[in-house]
Amino acid sequence: MDNTVKRLLERLVRRIPSRMLKTTLDKWSRLTATQRQSIDYTESKWALTEKLLAICEENELTVKHIAELEMIHVIENPNLGMWHAFQLMDPQGDAHSVELTQFKEQFKSHLSELIRHVSIKIKKHTDEAVWIRIAWGDTFSRPNHLKPTYVVHYLQTPYVFLSSLTSKQKPLLSQALVLSTRYQAIKDANLSGRKLTAIRDLLMKQYLQVFPTKFPSPLAERNRVVSNLHIEKEQAGSAANRHQMACEAFGDGLLPQLQSAVYKLETKFRDHTNKTMTERDEPFRCVVKFASTNLLESLRHSASSGTQKVLKTVIRITIIVFCKEVSYVTITWYVTKSCRILTASLQVSTRGHQSPGRNSHIVMLLH
Amino acid sequence: MEGAPAKGVLSHLSLLEVKARSRKTQLQQHSRVMELKAKVEALKTQREQLKAQIQTHQDLQKLRLAMDKQCADEEEENMEEESENSKLLRLMARHTQLKDLLHAHHLIGGYDIIKTRKGKGACVSIATAYEDVFLDTFNLEIDLKPTVKISRHNIPPFIPLNNLAEQNNMQTDLRVFLDTLSKHLNAFAGRKQQLKLVKEKHKSVEVMESNVLCSLLVLLFTVPREKTAVLCTLDYTDHTRCLPTRVHLESEDKQLPDSPQWKKNCTLLMETPVHKALITMKKMGSIA
Repeated sequence: MDNTVKRLLERLVRRIPSRMLKTTLDKWSRLTATQRQSIDYTESKWALTEKLLAICEENELTVKHIAELEMIHVIENPNLGMWHAFQLMDPQGDAHSVELTQFKEQFKSHLSELIRHVSIKIKKHTDEAVWIRIAWGDTFSRPNHLKPTYVVHYLQTPYVFLSSLTSKQKPLLSQALVLSTRYQAIKDANLSGRKLTAIRDLLMKQYLQVFPTKFPSPLAERNRVVSNLHIEKEQAGSAANRHQMACEAFGDGLLPQLQSAVYKLETKFRDHTNKTMTERDEPFRCVVKFASTNLLESLRHSASSGTQKVLKTVIRITIIVFCKEVSYVTITWYVTKSCRILTASLQVSTRGHQSPGRNSHIVMLLH
Repeated sequence: MEGAPAKGVLSHLSLLEVKARSRKTQLQQHSRVMELKAKVEALKTQREQLKAQIQTHQDLQKLRLAMDKQCADEEEENMEEESENSKLLRLMARHTQLKDLLHAHHLIGGYDIIKTRKGKGACVSIATAYEDVFLDTFNLEIDLKPTVKISRHNIPPFIPLNNLAEQNNMQTDLRVFLDTLSKHLNAFAGRKQQLKLVKEKHKSVEVMESNVLCSLLVLLFTVPREKTAVLCTLDYTDHTRCLPTRVHLESEDKQLPDSPQWKKNCTLLMETPVHKALITMKKMGSIA
């Protein structure tokens, strides 16, 4: 049996948890009923691999079929691996009428023209997402199925999500995508994460955004636990206000689970006592990184709870300032009442003397 | 004490404390008479204010009636030399007229617009509905100063928002832009609802292909008795309409699409919403 088939199958069986193996194999539908029944899912992974290898040899399955199985598993579990979002720019006239068969043909032909040996598999999922699995080879070697790239695209939208793409493969894939979707360019959307569903929901606006409205829905009843009618909360009014503003800024209900956001920032130094820093011509260049298990939820919670300082335990904020004179930076963050601005107060220590410099406001709009 | 729940217990307690302190320092008798006299004056001025308000309100009502009648009759009234007061009154009447118009617009399912950020922005809510059922509401927050620009929205990315803004010149004619956008969104919601109904109510018809914009639909019919398959493609190239612009039929039986019954079905699919057309086709026995 082909070595690649063996290795691919082994890796796949190791990755898929035993409880999901049965359903995935059933979806694959490359095994006969008797074969499926003969598999004992309580055996060890190693034993299962051996059994499956034997069955595959019996059915004369090739690496393409195993790739199918891998694709089924990845589509069912999109929140593994690292996804990067890209945006297609400048649609041409017929970009909005590209349909599936046309896209499939065009993509396959363009990519095969650009690179000789490549194995492409395209599948449409029930939620209208087009999944593409690409195994790259080159002029001399066959496609490498052990390091495939996955692409997810929704037709008629400008967004493409990629996973496991090297810098050499990127221009080839970009070219093929741009030509087959009838756009003119593609650029980085600067959004990446482990959870495909989170970044997809954020870009496709599939989460509950709250807008100021004159007619709030009368049916939206928030579950209020009325514990005791004689007790009235003094701060009930302002708490409800803060909650409304926090929801307007960050969204309502279940928010997409972002784990990190990185911002590039250019800002100036403001402190009268420190002339050297204020008289610099160039602005300070910084990189700010927010990290949390659920970033949007943490921000919304700290905004609605009214605490002036963003909970440091919930969100980890690191800031890197690109400047020779700065030796260390401490920051304290505040969320203003309108929930739209996060203000940073930086204490910058420069070579020579300590100065509690105040930095300018960083406007944080997550949209 | 009715004031307590409205202002909070602590603030009420402090109020009582202040009252008690101030009472101790005043002379009892004389101060009481002075107090009452001052109260009388205050009440008199309040009465004058209320009288003026009532008068203004009545004038406003009269003016509104005249204005509404004027709009209905389509007459141009002469703008005579008017005093400051009547100009202001006219403006106020016009304001209430516009507010009522906006409210009526909201009631018929049009879009709402409210001021945000102290007049520097506006938020538009566009409601979508199909066949007397309210569907999703879409929102747009627009900055009005310094230029008219969309700051955030929850419109899905397959609706070409930026294109529409440019084509309809959002800067100068906001209403036209909103009307076009509303048409696009309502048509999209209508098509989406049709697809949902087809999937729910017509399980014998298989949906082979659709897309997020619901501008393409491919259905697989089975002819009863002969069990032949017919593939029907519905193209909705006009994104402001809920009906297809093109219907294409394909079948293993080459003569089937040209038969009079299926030609009728073709026109039916072009003229009626797909979920309703399927009911008719089933009744006629064209499809299973």
